[in-house]
Amino acid sequence: MTFSTFLLNAFYGFGLAMNMFIIAAGLNLIFGVLRVINFAHGMFYMFGAYIVFTVTKSWGMPFAVGVVASGLGLAVIALFIERFLLRRLYDKEHLMQLLFTFAIVLLMSDAAKMIWGTDQYSVGYPPALRGAARFGAVIVPQYLVFLCLLGPVLAIAMWLAVDRTRWGRIVRAATQDREMLAALGVNVPAVYAMVFVIGSALAGIGGALAAPRIALVPGMDATIINECFIIVIIGGLGHMWGSFLGALAFGFVVQFGTVFVPNWQDVLPYLLMLVVLLVRPWGLLGRPELSR
Amino acid sequence: MIEITKRGLLAAVAAGALLAGSASAQEPIRLGAMYPLTGGGAVYGVPAMAGHQLAVEELNARGGIMGRKIESVERDDKMNPSAASATMKELITKDRVHMVLGGLSSAVGLGMAEVSKQEKVVYLATIPKTIQLTTDKLHKHVFRIAANTDQEGDTLAMLAGKYKLSKICHLQLDYAYGHDLETGFLKALPRHAPNAKVVLTLKPKLGATDFNAFIPQVMAAGCDGVISGLWGPHFVSWVKQAAPLGFFDKIKWISGGEIGSHEIAGELKGEYPDNVISNTYELWYHAVDDTHKAFQAALAKKLGTKETPQWALLGYNGVMFAAAAIEKAKSLDPDKIADALEGLTIKTPVGPLTIDPKTHQSNTGQFWGPMVKKPGVAYRVMDPVEFIVPKM
Repeated sequence: MTFSTFLLNAFYGFGLAMNMFIIAAGLNLIFGVLRVINFAHGMFYMFGAYIVFTVTKSWGMPFAVGVVASGLGLAVIALFIERFLLRRLYDKEHLMQLLFTFAIVLLMSDAAKMIWGTDQYSVGYPPALRGAARFGAVIVPQYLVFLCLLGPVLAIAMWLAVDRTRWGRIVRAATQDREMLAALGVNVPAVYAMVFVIGSALAGIGGALAAPRIALVPGMDATIINECFIIVIIGGLGHMWGSFLGALAFGFVVQFGTVFVPNWQDVLPYLLMLVVLLVRPWGLLGRPELSR
Repeated sequence: MIEITKRGLLAAVAAGALLAGSASAQEPIRLGAMYPLTGGGAVYGVPAMAGHQLAVEELNARGGIMGRKIESVERDDKMNPSAASATMKELITKDRVHMVLGGLSSAVGLGMAEVSKQEKVVYLATIPKTIQLTTDKLHKHVFRIAANTDQEGDTLAMLAGKYKLSKICHLQLDYAYGHDLETGFLKALPRHAPNAKVVLTLKPKLGATDFNAFIPQVMAAGCDGVISGLWGPHFVSWVKQAAPLGFFDKIKWISGGEIGSHEIAGELKGEYPDNVISNTYELWYHAVDDTHKAFQAALAKKLGTKETPQWALLGYNGVMFAAAAIEKAKSLDPDKIADALEGLTIKTPVGPLTIDPKTHQSNTGQFWGPMVKKPGVAYRVMDPVEFIVPKM
């Protein structure tokens, strides 16, 4: 492998990682605060992609408008789900919550079939990012460069929001001890709703941003949710920089693994997860769960 | 007292129903149909089922088969071999269907063929292409009217020769269809293009959406053409990720998997790349004769669009074969239906089709050609169109 092909593959691995991070970050945020494993996250991602299709292709609006619409659309759907359904299940055991989010998957997949049918769709690149970018001998799609820049920006923005603002302190407090937080006069249900809405909107935005690179088909939710779980587990459940690191590990392992050992492409991400689970069951950056 | 009255009433009703039953026509002929109606395969399964329904409607309007109505029992195969096998068993034991049609994925087709073998009910595979169905896994009750991977591989090799490829990059999906198409192509290549060499073989996984690990390898391999079996969404994702790099400027893309169908061209529109030569079972803008035109019109009416999908033809032909076989057998006995299917020829919208009595495979042809831009048309069209019928 020459240095330029190495660089090329490293870049692609990073691009894949950032694409995945944007999606997995929302799942991770929701788990960190609500302690709910949201199986419907992949479905939210698919809805994001389909919404950007409708906005750009059917209504002829610019791609950026479509991305915003996907975020807002999923925020509305998430608010409805949290306010009227999920809120009743916070005190129930994990199995109930899992079954509930799985039911949401089934409902939304039927809804998607009713709204968009079963056709295959494609979303065009935004005109400014249609071509290729050249870095010396390395030629890469401009759109992937854009994703590579957006990922870290989003990570830093999330870190600032969670670590440096009053709202972020409340959210972190909610992960520690919700009863105490409520006793201090904070409206914990509102915090939960907000986190669920933001996490879901991130899934929608992730789907919208992924849409120009892939074919939109029913069932695209199923693969992505597995990959998101791998990333979140590798990084440490509920830890934001953990999922950033998890996404990087996932991206590089998939990219270089597929190049060097193509027959193992299916297994490698799971193998990675297995190794992490054996060595550090709480993930790369997570902390061992204390009994509370 | 009241009990007795109730019972008497029930008895009377039951007797009435029996009488009505014997007075009306005989019980209907039940055709089981299984296609993926949810998930990723629904893109193809739903139109195939529409073609199936169209054929059942047409036959029933003409009075059914042997004067008996056809009842279509439709199920979702979920594109999952184990779910499909369970569903098919239920169709046979609970719904007591007389024949089962359909399947889409090659893996599902193999599963359904196994159930058909155990239950001794005829299974007519309408879309699965794996060669195994009509070779290793062949048995008395399984038949196929889709093209198969040997036929498709043969045409791919012929095109490699026609377009004078010398260095070939070979892309196949890593599952039954891809593996068998690879074998079919490699078998035929020395015959059609003795000077061509395969310089790189890559096998992305089924359902892959990210091809960034493969695209640079193909671009670095220096091949003048790609032979591909990447169908539907795989092809679309590949195009989206490779086209910005100028991938399709230099490399010819000769592909099976029906990416020449209007479903793909109409969706990709301006993004559909140059240099693609591919196949499709049916083209709504290209009618071979009046029968074909009539089929297209009926389908357009049913689906509410003139730009009809190619998959409907396969579902439609399946029912027509089933009807012709039952008429010929004059029986619903699976063994007799199977005997009738052997060597059976029917007229289809795209010409006559015959099932080989030995291999149980029909000589299903496909339209092949380059996908070109036409002035004033928003999507690519196949032109010139060549209908290639495999030799039996």
